[in-house]
Amino acid sequence: MELDDFRIGEEPYYRAIGEEVRFYKAAYAERMPIMLKGPTGCGKTRFIEYMAYSLDRPLITVACHEDMTASDLVGRYLLDAQGTVWHDGPLTIAVRHGAICYLDEIVEARQDTTVVIHPLTDDRRVLPLEKRGELVRAHPDFQLVISYNPGYQSVLKDLKESTKQRFGAMDFGYPPAPIEAEIVAHEAKIERGMADKLVAIGERSRNLKGHGLDEGASTRMLIQAGRLIAHGVAIEAACQIALVLPITDDADIRGALTAAIAASI
Amino acid sequence: MVSSLSKQQQSLIASLADQPEIAGTLELVWRQARASLPSSLLDDWVGACRSIAASVGSNAAIAFIRNSPSVAAAAGPQAVMALAELTPQFAALAGDHTALALLLAAPIAARRLASPQNFTEWLRVIKRVAEEAPESVSLLLDRSGRVLEGLDVRSFETWALGGIRAAENDPEQRLKFFALLDTRSLHALEHGAGSVAFTDVERELKAFVAALWRTIPPIRVLPPAGFDTPRRTCFVNGVVRVPQSSRGVDGVGGKDLFRASLAHVLAHFQFTPAKLAVGSLKPVQIALVSLIEDARVEQLAIGHFPGLRRFWVPFHLAAAGGVVTAPALMARLARALIDPDYFDPHGWVNKGREMFLAERVRWSDPAISRSIGGLLGNDLGQMRAQFNPRTYVVEPAYRDDNQGLWDLPSAGAAAGEAVYDSVRFEQSETDPADREREAQGESSANVAQLVPEEAEVGVAVARYPEWDYMIGRDRNEWTTVSEYSPADGSAEKIDGIFERYPETAYRIDALVQAAKVSRPTRMRRQPEGDRLDLEATIGAAIDLRAGLTPSSNIYARLERRWRDLAVLVLIDASQSTNDIVKGAGRPVLELERDATSLLAHAMDGMGDPFALHAFCSDTREDVHYYRLKDFDTRWDTLAKRRLAGVIGKYSTRMGAALRHAGRDLAACHSYRKLLLLVSDGEPSDVDIADRRYLVEDARRAVLSLRHQGIDLFCVGLDAGGDSYLTRIFGRSNVIQLDHIERLPEKLPLLYFRLAG
Repeated sequence: MELDDFRIGEEPYYRAIGEEVRFYKAAYAERMPIMLKGPTGCGKTRFIEYMAYSLDRPLITVACHEDMTASDLVGRYLLDAQGTVWHDGPLTIAVRHGAICYLDEIVEARQDTTVVIHPLTDDRRVLPLEKRGELVRAHPDFQLVISYNPGYQSVLKDLKESTKQRFGAMDFGYPPAPIEAEIVAHEAKIERGMADKLVAIGERSRNLKGHGLDEGASTRMLIQAGRLIAHGVAIEAACQIALVLPITDDADIRGALTAAIAASI
Repeated sequence: MVSSLSKQQQSLIASLADQPEIAGTLELVWRQARASLPSSLLDDWVGACRSIAASVGSNAAIAFIRNSPSVAAAAGPQAVMALAELTPQFAALAGDHTALALLLAAPIAARRLASPQNFTEWLRVIKRVAEEAPESVSLLLDRSGRVLEGLDVRSFETWALGGIRAAENDPEQRLKFFALLDTRSLHALEHGAGSVAFTDVERELKAFVAALWRTIPPIRVLPPAGFDTPRRTCFVNGVVRVPQSSRGVDGVGGKDLFRASLAHVLAHFQFTPAKLAVGSLKPVQIALVSLIEDARVEQLAIGHFPGLRRFWVPFHLAAAGGVVTAPALMARLARALIDPDYFDPHGWVNKGREMFLAERVRWSDPAISRSIGGLLGNDLGQMRAQFNPRTYVVEPAYRDDNQGLWDLPSAGAAAGEAVYDSVRFEQSETDPADREREAQGESSANVAQLVPEEAEVGVAVARYPEWDYMIGRDRNEWTTVSEYSPADGSAEKIDGIFERYPETAYRIDALVQAAKVSRPTRMRRQPEGDRLDLEATIGAAIDLRAGLTPSSNIYARLERRWRDLAVLVLIDASQSTNDIVKGAGRPVLELERDATSLLAHAMDGMGDPFALHAFCSDTREDVHYYRLKDFDTRWDTLAKRRLAGVIGKYSTRMGAALRHAGRDLAACHSYRKLLLLVSDGEPSDVDIADRRYLVEDARRAVLSLRHQGIDLFCVGLDAGGDSYLTRIFGRSNVIQLDHIERLPEKLPLLYFRLAG
């Protein structure tokens, strides 16, 4: 089986917040296409890795981008010494061999690209390879998962209605403070007290959403700051490096964030 | 050597024999002059004395001679020569008396400015003031010492020219300004002297407040008060009022003081649930209850945000020792309650601290402030420490004056009005998008009713800065843009336009058609693509078999060039557009309207989002702005009626209108944004006499919009307007129409060219 590379070897750390694990298992049992919604860095990708591990399925992740064409998903002819040779794209590999295919930030891709997933996401579960004249029937283990950050993209970049309606959706947000602190402490390997402080700082920055920031500091950012702290960096400096400087170039907002961090510790 | 110098002296003094007074003064200051001026300059210097004596008078010459050594000592000999050069001109410009004032002010200025460059710059500014405000220049010179105390020459220029500008051609205002009787002028002076204006830090501090407390209360800047009233942050009924500027105290900067003040007020908002009742409390008890309440809310806030302590403690400077007065003890108590590292030997302070700390578990209960404060007040009374409520000032400086804490019946009514004002003020600052929608909603509701033209009511929606090229600075919030409901005309008028220009309408349709059916293009020999380019592949296969390295560009892909363009057409509807165009026999505005309708037709056909707005202005306080069609509304009968209803009146304050239009356009999510201005004349307004001023401001607006990625293009209908429109928009972004009557044909074609 060529998908061994895509299997997740070690159990990824995932701290469930609600019943999302149970819900996802139910959806997978039905092979229902799933859309994971939520802001960046709140744990969508980690969740799907964890689910792939616990269901013991290979996971093929595709990061979508603006210039992505349908061929990037489905596959294309390449040239070798003998002539042309067909090369399956990541989606086709997942469909053929039965993996969970995770299209990260799907709205980044152009709408005409995403239409190729339509026949896969209804009860047909087939992928027509037009250029090759082949109709690939989905492997029984195949499931399609996409992630979608409704707040972050522009209004013009939205999923087509016909695409949206094919998916079940699970909403992710930043975890409640105590759980988030637990996650930060575990991932960054720092003490709980320090993690609590970082989470409080994260909350401060999330209050600025709409007041100069498009998005507050994500759990991922807090973990990054925590990792720096674990290496002996002072908390103020760690927050500057991992949080304030990456999040904005606006001098006023930087000043406000720095002061808010100083007020929180 | 000595003899030769004295020979020079002899001959020079002899040359002034006809004016014995001057010669006498010269003799008196000769020694100093020789010490501060190089001997090579002495001849010129005496020559200058002569010419000042001749053209201004002997008094001026004497003043010049007397002051030259000190000017030279402070700012160098060149400064003296520059002064000599300017004095006769200056006298011609502003009178002999003023020239005398200049010579008297010169040593003071030289001492403050201390370099020949700065001194010459100062002379230049003084000359400028003499030209623009001749009546004020001697006042300004009299106050040179005071004015230059805190300003360098650059900010002096800004201050002086800014004052002239702010007086808006009213000599009396100018006199007030330069006599330092105007609070604005004093504030402006202070701003120059290293203080921080709230507006400069407002955004950051508001974000700081939002980060900590999630909400931003309405914040209003206090109007400039008298010079002696203490200016501090305070709050009344949920509205925060801050002074215009802050210098900070004792080495802590103005911004930090603002931040500490806001944090303190927000702590009150969070933890002081209701106003305290005065009841039977004595003034000293009120002061102490307030003090304990301040400490209580700060401790609670510190519980949430431990770092706040570091923001507040630096302002607590009271220390043990010194005279034991009630205010001093209270300042020490305030410090003892917040600063754990502070120890005070005084029994009363210690008692207060212990009582406060003993109630630690009950800090969340505001009643403890009253009980502790009441007790401490009694003790203070028994100690016979004097407390004068009139002179008492809350310490430290970041804390509010406690007026907002108490339920004071008399102050309530007066404050209520102010609060009302501030709420109104805040409203104009709320999300502009909402406001626009509101204005729009109103206008669409008005469709059914006929709005009489006289009843035109505008809603002030935004304030914009205006660029003053003379001082090289933006005047903040200088212009007010008000949106008015557009009047309705008849839609048939617009539809009739297409019949008037059948040929143009046909061409537009054809162009739209052509643009629409343009198919996606196939890009061959690409390094990446969704299919193989057959020719390239065969070539590559041949190369491979021939043992050559094949090119990797063997793919082809289809690419559709997406149009993603938003256009805002801004129509100049000033009075001058009512002028009849010679060739056409119709007013400019009608041609603008024809052109805009044809353009709208084209854009509608292309499916590009577009908006049609019109503007005119009646002084900086009232820039009229009409939304005829917005991006999200359709080009329908309503929009056509509005376009037909535009009438020309007032003036053309281009910069403000461009900024307002730019803000709309900036909010669009299109890849390309185009602002198309149709204007018939140079920017002007009745309150501006300087022709260059509005041109420079418009240019500034254009530059800043361009920075935001907005393309600007201007169609000029003034055959002679080449110079200023080019100055504003840049040469390649202006099209001049010599034959205005051809505008309706040109404009849509221009659009295809620009958007193609």
